[in-house]
Amino acid sequence: MPPPSYADLVPRLPRTFGPTVNDQLRRWDLLFPAEQRQLRAQLDYLASLSPSELKALFAPMAGLERRMDLPNWKPGTVGMSIEETGVLARSPLYPQWRTEVETVFTHIEETLEKSARPNRPARLILCVLPSGLPVNDREIWPGLAGQGAWVALSKPFRESENALVSSLARRTVSAGLEELESTWVFECGRDLSAVVESTNAVEISWGALEAIRRTFLDRLNAIQRDLRSADQTTADLRRLDISPSLDPRLSKVPRLREFIRSILLSGNGSLVFNNSFVQWSASEALRRVQPQVLVARFGIRPKIKPFSSLVMFEDQNRSNPTPDQDDPAGSLIDGEMLSQYVHFTARDLPAYREHVVTLFACGDLSRVLVIGSRSATDHFSGSPSAITTEQLSSLSLSWLAGT
Amino acid sequence: MTRRQLVQFLTAAVAPRILAARQARTDAPGKRLVLVTIGGIRRQESFSKPGLVNVPHLFDELLPQSIFYPYTANEGVTSHFNTISSILTGVWQHVDDWGSQKPTNPTLFHYLKSQHNAGVNDTWVVTSNKQLTANISPGVNVVLSKQLLVEAVERIIMGQSTRKQLEREQLLSEMKSVLETDYERIGWGAPSASSFQDPEVKKTFVAALTNFIHGPDAPASGDDLTFIVAKEVLLRLAPAMLMVNFSDVEVAHSGAYSLHLGGIRRSDALCHKLWEFIRTNPALKDNTTLVIMNEFGRDPDGSSTNGFFNHRTNTESCRMAWSMVLGAAVRKPEVVERVIRQVDMAPSIGTWMGLECDRSVGELLPEIAI
Repeated sequence: MPPPSYADLVPRLPRTFGPTVNDQLRRWDLLFPAEQRQLRAQLDYLASLSPSELKALFAPMAGLERRMDLPNWKPGTVGMSIEETGVLARSPLYPQWRTEVETVFTHIEETLEKSARPNRPARLILCVLPSGLPVNDREIWPGLAGQGAWVALSKPFRESENALVSSLARRTVSAGLEELESTWVFECGRDLSAVVESTNAVEISWGALEAIRRTFLDRLNAIQRDLRSADQTTADLRRLDISPSLDPRLSKVPRLREFIRSILLSGNGSLVFNNSFVQWSASEALRRVQPQVLVARFGIRPKIKPFSSLVMFEDQNRSNPTPDQDDPAGSLIDGEMLSQYVHFTARDLPAYREHVVTLFACGDLSRVLVIGSRSATDHFSGSPSAITTEQLSSLSLSWLAGT
Repeated sequence: MTRRQLVQFLTAAVAPRILAARQARTDAPGKRLVLVTIGGIRRQESFSKPGLVNVPHLFDELLPQSIFYPYTANEGVTSHFNTISSILTGVWQHVDDWGSQKPTNPTLFHYLKSQHNAGVNDTWVVTSNKQLTANISPGVNVVLSKQLLVEAVERIIMGQSTRKQLEREQLLSEMKSVLETDYERIGWGAPSASSFQDPEVKKTFVAALTNFIHGPDAPASGDDLTFIVAKEVLLRLAPAMLMVNFSDVEVAHSGAYSLHLGGIRRSDALCHKLWEFIRTNPALKDNTTLVIMNEFGRDPDGSSTNGFFNHRTNTESCRMAWSMVLGAAVRKPEVVERVIRQVDMAPSIGTWMGLECDRSVGELLPEIAI
């Protein structure tokens, strides 16, 4: 699909919008279908407004921008540097500006929702904590449990996991979705890679990205103490050919290759901690790809060794030859919080809000927590006795099929 | 839990100990300030019912002796350099957060130097956060303790040192070496080129580094080192004004929630140790005020900015901090229910020290002694 042209519209948008919109349009082919649909709908809507309507919509923001000391962006400027983002973020008017951005986008989204009323398929998120965590010491996900239902399993989840993920990855994708929007799997290790190998599922593993993470960390650790150095390093890493370090299934699809690059460049611990990588990449996939099924499989991170990682945010094995030791207690606290964050991200997206069920599971527990609409929890919790692997898979597939 | 409920809960919980502390206080003869800032800590992980488990020392032992402001608003830029310079100047700052620009108004250090003719060793900053460069207040001694540790570790890892392993003794040698040759490059600040060559100052650092490496609790974090350096500075140089910054909590940016909680608990324990040191030191106990402030909260769970990882939303979770005043400036221990602003602290503490912070926009806090 060729990129649409909005050359007439962009100069009429608020100054702070231009660089970001231009950047999105320049990278049109690297945007996922859901992003393209959303951006096109938003810009088409704005282009359809009369000059007076457009002016009225953006009047408060234009007023703020006139009072802000902004960089000298031109209508054709593409993207914002870290330095320019810093200038914007430290403006005294930045809080009001952010509020106004949210107001405008809420208005646009609500208008589009009313007019389009898209037919949205049912979706499913599976968040899995690994075996080996001290889950029997206390209640897990206590804050969420009141919003959903625990469903008893006939055996520990670890014995059902592969069969469930396999059945999800092998299902027929719902009408109206592209193959790329079917199933995405994020994991710390490579436990599920064989399970989804011969399917169309996208599987991204923290462990499999070790070489490229090492390269990025080396470059980022060499940044000097100024913003220009940070901007330059970021620009270099955006140009770096990362394909040789990626699995061919990922490197041959430019959108997937660039998705991984953007995850590793956007912080949020994705270069440093396995579970942060899983959470952040899963949340970004929900926002950008909107897959019908997403699996976020968390892991156990090693204990932090003295001096090495806390001061370096680095590969601690380079500085300390002592073998890694697992930190199951810390990993449970991390995984419990981060798996909730995956759910929170989906909860706020129109594509998922009323259409998703999230299953929270832990390898050693013989139950799963089901969170979603009333119909979703009813769908999974109808059985009076513990359900088998086959029943869990069947319930998941029938939920996705809308039956 | 509403604000009122929280204040009532805090007040009721500490009331008996506040009374005991009031009875035990004596009037202080002199004026010294130790200001501790801690990175971003949300209320839900600190001064709330579920959060108190992370701040047992602050809550059980320090709060009853203090003036505690549970609602201290950060109305400025919720980033580290801007927040700390706003606290120090009493004016909301909007400068580069990487520390390449100076605050645009005088700091408490400036006021002290210009109005009290303070000496070179009267003003010190000991910080875990590398953004707090010498620019935070030119002319002040700025020690980036954690950055010293980082540099030493990096040299060993990158093979730039003859020392090859990250063992405590080798790390001590490397830190001494960085201290000898490279302190300016890593961002430390000194009033004059000879400041860090002063034998007493050198002795202070060497003692601190040795205590860090050979300490009984095997301290290993940046904040542990910052505490030990700050304690040595207080002990040996007795400055009139010392600012200490703890930042282990900022591991939250990398998403390890358990390590973030560990950072809060470490800050809690180090603040307690610092107060105990001040309270039991004959030269400090009667004339020193300790102020402890978190810089801001963090973003709320479920925010589009990835919750506790960051601190940039315009929300109460991010903007509402707390502050605690202990020691000589405490007229009577109490929990203050009304909302104050972080910029109120500089003129209030400045006034207690006999300084006129005439450029500050903050209001005087009447609970603090004059």
